[in-house]
Amino acid sequence: MRLEQRRIHIKDIQLGNETSVKSGVLTVNKEELISKLKEDKKIKDVKLDVARPGEKTRIIPVKDVIEPRVKIEGDGNGFPGVSTKMAQLGDGKVNILYGAAIVTVGDIVGFQEGVVDMWGEGAKWTPFSSTYNLVVDIIPVEGLKPHDHEAAVRLAGLRAAEYVGEAGRDVEPDEVKVYEMGSHVEEAKKYPNLPKVAYVEMLISQGLLHDGYIYGVNSQLILPTLLHPNEELDGAVISGNCVAACDKITTYQHQNNSSILDLYEQHGKTINFLGVILTPELTTLEGKFRTCDYTTKLCMNLGADGVIVSEEGYGNPDSDLLMICKKLEDNGIKTVLITDECSGRDGMSQPLADTTKEAVAVVSTGNVSHVVKLPPADKVIGNDKAIATLAGGWEGALEEDGSLQCELNAVIGATSEIGYHNLTVKLY
Amino acid sequence: MKFKVLYYVNQFFGQVGGEDKAGMAPEYKKEKIGPALGFNGLLGDEGEVVGTLICGDNYFNENNEEALEYIKNVIKEENPDVVVAGPAFNAGRYGMACAGVVNAAAEMGKKVVTGMYIENPAVDHAKGNAIIVETKDSAADMRNALPKMAAIVKKLMSGEEVGTPAEEGYIAQGKRLTVFAKDRGSKRAVDMLLARFNNEEFETELPMPVFDKVDIAPAIKDLSKATIALVTSGGIVPEGNPDRIQSASAQKWGKYDVSGVDSLQEGGYETIHGGYDPVYANELPDRVAPLDFMKQAEKEGKIGKVFKYFYTTTGTGTAVGKSIEFGTEIGKELKEAGVDGVILTST
Amino acid sequence: MENTFDYDIVTNNPSVKDKYENIIFVDGGFKDVLFKVRDLVHNGAELINHPLGASIRMFFSPYRSIIIREKSEGNSEINKEYYINTIENSIENYNKQMENRNPDVVNSEDYSLIDENLLESAIGEFKRMQN
Repeated sequence: MRLEQRRIHIKDIQLGNETSVKSGVLTVNKEELISKLKEDKKIKDVKLDVARPGEKTRIIPVKDVIEPRVKIEGDGNGFPGVSTKMAQLGDGKVNILYGAAIVTVGDIVGFQEGVVDMWGEGAKWTPFSSTYNLVVDIIPVEGLKPHDHEAAVRLAGLRAAEYVGEAGRDVEPDEVKVYEMGSHVEEAKKYPNLPKVAYVEMLISQGLLHDGYIYGVNSQLILPTLLHPNEELDGAVISGNCVAACDKITTYQHQNNSSILDLYEQHGKTINFLGVILTPELTTLEGKFRTCDYTTKLCMNLGADGVIVSEEGYGNPDSDLLMICKKLEDNGIKTVLITDECSGRDGMSQPLADTTKEAVAVVSTGNVSHVVKLPPADKVIGNDKAIATLAGGWEGALEEDGSLQCELNAVIGATSEIGYHNLTVKLY
Repeated sequence: MKFKVLYYVNQFFGQVGGEDKAGMAPEYKKEKIGPALGFNGLLGDEGEVVGTLICGDNYFNENNEEALEYIKNVIKEENPDVVVAGPAFNAGRYGMACAGVVNAAAEMGKKVVTGMYIENPAVDHAKGNAIIVETKDSAADMRNALPKMAAIVKKLMSGEEVGTPAEEGYIAQGKRLTVFAKDRGSKRAVDMLLARFNNEEFETELPMPVFDKVDIAPAIKDLSKATIALVTSGGIVPEGNPDRIQSASAQKWGKYDVSGVDSLQEGGYETIHGGYDPVYANELPDRVAPLDFMKQAEKEGKIGKVFKYFYTTTGTGTAVGKSIEFGTEIGKELKEAGVDGVILTST
Repeated sequence: MENTFDYDIVTNNPSVKDKYENIIFVDGGFKDVLFKVRDLVHNGAELINHPLGASIRMFFSPYRSIIIREKSEGNSEINKEYYINTIENSIENYNKQMENRNPDVVNSEDYSLIDENLLESAIGEFKRMQN
């Protein structure tokens, strides 16, 4: 497969009367996008706003982040199986409004977190403070069931990304990246002496607000499955998870999965990258055993010498992560795990919900209970009542000057377990 | 202006004498004695040792309250910026004294630094409050330990950030702090994997805790027919402590026939434990090891029989190796005597 | 092949209680549900789904529903030990998380709904595995 990612660098977003990209400025036709999204009868109203890096703006509660793109050559524009007709992804050319993001806001339940601060202290902790964000706030019709509400918000974000992405169709890119990789047989012939590496990407697959989709298939229903890395980079995987703000994998992060990109970077140089195994994090113990066996079997059938495993979430998924690690290591496959940890406010507690001595190589992407102080914002996009959720639950969270103490837990992408951000933990 | 350091050493390093002087009560001298002298030299123009506290190891451990009261008074009077103790290397009693001193000083708001060998049982007692420089297990390491301790003290006083345990040579306090890394997580993962392929050294960012795993015993099917023994690390002994079990860093355990009494109180027991306030335990030793309750349960038929002997030692400051030894010995006796279950209490 | 879905739901969630028949209702919090499950598991019950949720947020839920199977036969000693370890670790973990937090009672209704939905998914997953 050969995928050409053509990046059009976006330097600002404006709301206006047309949708276009001119000299790096993305203009979005506000009325047209709103009426397009309102074609979904479940949506009563849509509010659009823009948040730019450096502005004293807070977005909350964020449901998903999506990168606006348009496929100009090859099959599968948009998100096949979800928002568009089924197609094979991974080949062709795609124009990307690089530096822009669609951020959906929707309080499906009252306790939803998910902050993006565009400035100051808060900005350091989230990767989405450096993108120009078109915030899409979706208000559903009354009486909508939570499942339908979640689906409506999820689809609206994807449709908005498709609509906005269209603006880049005829724009010359500033930068072109090519991702090309043949069959396992071809690549093994080219790089006979390089160690073979698979990437196991775990996905929360447990029900409402805890789901992920692959070509539209709910990952609860799959056995672990093998993808060409280009497929994920081309939009095959989308997020339906919106409770674990700090470590959920947003759709944007699937489209730009840093583990895939960093393995691709080494492909043909130091390793032979075999592809992505998407592994569901199920809720039953029997399901977890099966997933673990099956994932290991896929890695072995591929002849992997090494595997990187990334987690999504915290709690019961720690069991999957460590079981898979143990089984891979027991079978002689060198394994590196990427996970965040929950070592308490003071960093003194046992970091994971489970342990195994075979996990000798682990990357920690931060302590989700680490407390950060967020100063008051000039402007809040979304639902400022959600801030009360952040402040709730413990004493002293809201300070007199309006600053808010919250745990990293609430910050979108802070401790991304695909290693998208640059936090780590050091022992003192 | 130079910052002020108060230094604590035991009778040996305070040049008073060896084991024969271990019973000496604390003394304070406005001089730089033993390691305090070398330490002072390492501070250069930045700070100065204003005096040396010297106390016998036995005195400190056996008269904890009195010793600390004296020491606290000196700290109050001298009002130093930093209190430095040791290094104690692998000496258990000296280590416990250093831990006691730095904890008291920390409570008074002083910055505190000490030095110990990693297996010194006092490490666990001091590491919550103090930075403990990691030393080798004997005093021969003094010349390596003092410069590290001095460097940390200087950083603490100048406000310069103290680096990681590996960088500065101290024992990790166990705090896992979230910090920014140079590379994103995925890049670090790929680098770590490449290091593994190339058999290069790599450092995991999340070391798995090592558990001393004890298999869960099968449940007792019928408690009303079972013999249950009472074991404690709470330092409860017959009055007068006939077997001279140590009040801290125990070297032995004892067993006492309790078949003739309905409670430890009735049997005339007391605590010798050096790690907690003894008032309530002495008032009713069954609060630490509930023989009264067990005898009651025996009478009610809830448990078959309370085992004839009660086993006891002191847990505070006791080395893990010793604890394993005690446990193995006691367990063997109980097993041979046909005991079905144990109630083990700690403090 | 076993075809009957003989399972019980240990829950403190009132809306789950009203919806299913095979309920072991716990009048208490999340922690009490964990304790009840622990007692049952130590007495030989099989743990069907993991006692913990999949994110930190779900630790703050006032409600939790856990599926078990009582008097389960054919469990090996290894399985039993796994269930016991899983529930005991879960309790420790729960205690650790909640040391400085209170259950988020303000959003009780929402948590009740999510718990109900996650349970439904778990039962679905369990049934798919049994037929």
